[in-house]
Amino acid sequence: MIRVVRGLLLRAAVVLTGTAVATFALLWHAPGDPALAIAIARYDAVVPAEVIDQIRAEAGLDAGFWPAFKAWIMPLLTGDFGQSSVTGRPVWPEVTTALSYTAPLALMGLLVGILISVPLAVLAAQRPGGWLDRCAVALASIGAAIPAYWLGLLLVLLFAVQLGWLPAMGARTPAHSILPALTLGLGVAASLTRILRSGLLEAREQPFLPAFRRRGVSHRAIERDHVAPHAAIPVVTIFGLELAFLLEGAVMVEVIFARPGLGSFLINAIEARDFPKVQAVVILTALLFVTVNLLIDLIYRALDPRIGAQDA
Amino acid sequence: MTLQVTGLSATRSGRPILHPTNVKIEPGERVGLVGSSGSGKSTLGHALIDALRTQGRHVAHVPQSPDEALDPLRSMAFHWREAESARDLPADTARRRDLFAALRIEGGDLRKRPWGWSRGMQQRFVIAMALIGTPDLLVMDEPTSALDPVVAAGTMDLLDTYLATRQTALLLITHDLGLAAKRVQRLLVMEGGRLVEDAATMQVLSAPQTPAARALCAHRNWLELPC
Amino acid sequence: MLTVEHVSVERGKTLVLEDISLSLAPNRTLTVVGESGAGKSTLIAAILGLAPCTSGQILWAGAPVRRCGPALVMQEPRSAFNPVLSLRRSVMEPLTARRARLDDNRLKTLCDGLEIPPDLLERRPAQVSIGQAQRVGILRALIGAPPLVLFDEPLSALDAVTQKHTARLIADLQRQEGFAALIVTHDLGYAAAFADDIAVLRAGRIEEQTASRAFIDAPQTDYGRILRDAAFSLGALERVA
Repeated sequence: MIRVVRGLLLRAAVVLTGTAVATFALLWHAPGDPALAIAIARYDAVVPAEVIDQIRAEAGLDAGFWPAFKAWIMPLLTGDFGQSSVTGRPVWPEVTTALSYTAPLALMGLLVGILISVPLAVLAAQRPGGWLDRCAVALASIGAAIPAYWLGLLLVLLFAVQLGWLPAMGARTPAHSILPALTLGLGVAASLTRILRSGLLEAREQPFLPAFRRRGVSHRAIERDHVAPHAAIPVVTIFGLELAFLLEGAVMVEVIFARPGLGSFLINAIEARDFPKVQAVVILTALLFVTVNLLIDLIYRALDPRIGAQDA
Repeated sequence: MTLQVTGLSATRSGRPILHPTNVKIEPGERVGLVGSSGSGKSTLGHALIDALRTQGRHVAHVPQSPDEALDPLRSMAFHWREAESARDLPADTARRRDLFAALRIEGGDLRKRPWGWSRGMQQRFVIAMALIGTPDLLVMDEPTSALDPVVAAGTMDLLDTYLATRQTALLLITHDLGLAAKRVQRLLVMEGGRLVEDAATMQVLSAPQTPAARALCAHRNWLELPC
Repeated sequence: MLTVEHVSVERGKTLVLEDISLSLAPNRTLTVVGESGAGKSTLIAAILGLAPCTSGQILWAGAPVRRCGPALVMQEPRSAFNPVLSLRRSVMEPLTARRARLDDNRLKTLCDGLEIPPDLLERRPAQVSIGQAQRVGILRALIGAPPLVLFDEPLSALDAVTQKHTARLIADLQRQEGFAALIVTHDLGYAAAFADDIAVLRAGRIEEQTASRAFIDAPQTDYGRILRDAAFSLGALERVA
C-alpha cells in the first residue's frame, strides 16, 4: 500500500513539474514583448526604452530561459505567487477571492449534475431499450451536444426574460447562482447519465450473476451488492475528466452570466499579459487536477482491489 | 421424497430446443445427464432446476467455473453469509466448519476475495456453499472441465464421500461419458433436445439402445476408439 | 528435428522454466502434460521465440526455430480468428504474410482430410460450431506445410466425441504430412492414445519423459502416478483388464 501511494505521489510530482516547465515555456515564447506589455499596462502610455529595460530586469526576463525559469519557480515552491506585474499587488489574495466565487459554483454544478443523472440513469437502466431509456439517452446526447454558452442564454431567455423568476446577471444574492449552476449542472448530468447507464447495463451482464439468482439471492441484494459496486468503477474513473469539464464550464458560465470569479480573473490577466496572475491560475488548476486524480486512483483501488493486486 | 417433473420443455425464438420431457430422481440417487454439445443437456438442467424450485424443492447449482459463481469484488465471507441468508438460515460457524472439513477447504482466508484463493479451492468453496442447508438435489455443470485433473478428481472424491451418507441427490451434467460412468448410477442421454435414453449406467455402457448413446459409448475410452 | 537444450526462462525474478531438454523428430508426437501454472504455455512461447530463454537454446535442424516457420493451434478456436473476416481470409493469412501462392489442390486435400465442407470457409467464425472452428484452425496451421506444429490444448474446448474425432483427424494428417507435433494438454487419455512420448512438466521442470503406453502402465515418478491416477478417477483413462 505504502509503495502504491509513493508511486502515485511520484507520478503527481512528475505531472506538476511538467506543467511548471510547459507553463513557463509558453509564457516565455508568447508573441509580443512581455516587458512592453507590462509597461503599457502599468503606465497606460508610451514609455521610454529605459523604463522597459528596467521592467525586464526586475522580472528576470533578460537572463535567458533556464535562469529565468529558476528565478520564476523558486518563490512558487515556497508558496509565494508574487505580485501582479501590472498593479504590483500580491496575487494570492486576489486568486482566493476569485476562487471563493468559482468553487461554490462548480460544486453546485456537480451537485445538480449528480441529482439529475443518478435517478435518471437508474430509471433508464431498469428497462434498456424502453421508452424511458430512449428518452434519457436522447436527452443526454442533446445535453452533451449543446454548448454551455447557448444553454445559458436559453435559460436566461426563459427564466429571466420571459418568466422573470430569476436574476440573470451578477452574483449578489443566492438566487443569482441558480441559473449558472443549472447551466453547468445540465452539462455534467448529460455525460454522467450516459456513463452511469452504460456502467449499470454492463454490470448486469457479468457472468456470475445468474448463479447468484439461482442461489436464491434477492433481486435487491444482487443490485445493491453485486451490480452497483461494479457499475461504480467506470463512473469514478470518469470523474477526473468531469472535473476538467466543470472548471472549463465554470469559467465560461461566469463570463456568460457576468459573474466575478476565476473566469473573469483569468481573462483580465491574459489581456493585460499579467504573468504572475496567469501562472497562479494554471498552477492552481494543475495542482487541483493532480490531487483529484490521486484521490480517484486511491478510490479506484479501494473499489477494485484487483488493480492493486496486479501491481504487487 | 422423490423429485419428479413432467412435461418440461423449452423454446428459443419460436423453435423447440427441449421437447416435452419427464424426469424422476430418487433421494440420494446419482444421475448423469450426458450428450454432446448442443444436445440440450444444459437446457434440460436449467429447466429442471426452475421447475423443482417452483415445487418448493431445494435445488443447488454449481456452475462449470468458479468465475461464474463468485463476485470478484466481494470477500469469500460475504459470499458465505449471503448464501446462508438466501436460505433464511442464521450464520452458523459449526455448519461452515463441517462443510469446509468435508471438502477439505484449508488455508483460505475468508476475508480475501475469490482471486486470492486457488481455483481448486474456489470451486470447493462454491460446492460447499451449494451444500448449505442440505439441498434435495445438487446440479453440477461440467464440474471438472475448468480444473486441473488432479484437483478435479480430488474434489469429486470428497463430494462422493460427503453425499454417500445424505439424502441429497446429484445430477451431473457432462459431455464426458467417461466421467459420468465413474460417478453415477443412472444415465440420461440427450440428443437434439430429446431425452433418448434413461437407464442404469451399466446397462447403457453394455447395451446402448440409441445412436446417441452408442456414439458416446464408442468414444468413451481414449485407448479403445472405433476405427 | 526440434531440440530444446537446457532451456531456462525467467519472468521477472521467478524461474518459469528450469533446465528443460526435449527432442522431437519429424512425424513424431510429443505431449507435454502438467497442471496449470506448470509452465506449459511458456514452453510453447519459448519454442516460438516469443519468450526469451535466459539460458540454453532451442533449434530446429540446427537453426533457430523461427526460420522453419512453425505453426500454432490454439485452445479457443473461435477467438483465434478475426471475427469480421471470412474463415477463408483468416486461413490465407500465413500465406499472404509470406507472399506465398495458394495451391488449390493442397487446400482441397487438407479440407477433405479435416472434413471441412467447401462452403464453410466462406462463413465467419461466429457462424460455425466450435468443433468446425477448431478444424479450420488446424487447416490454417497446416496450409503453409510447416515441419513443426505446436498444439496448445487443442481439444479442451470440444465435447468428448468431437475431441476423439478431431484427434483422429490430426493423427491421419500427420501421417500424410510428416510434421512433428508438440501437444500441450492436461488430458492424459489423449496423450496416451495419440502421442509417442509424454513429458510431465511440474513447476517449470520436467519430472519425467516416458513412452506414452509405458507411462500409463507404470509412471516413473510419484507425481506421474498422481496425474495418471487422477485420469483414471475422472474416467479419462480406463484400466484395461
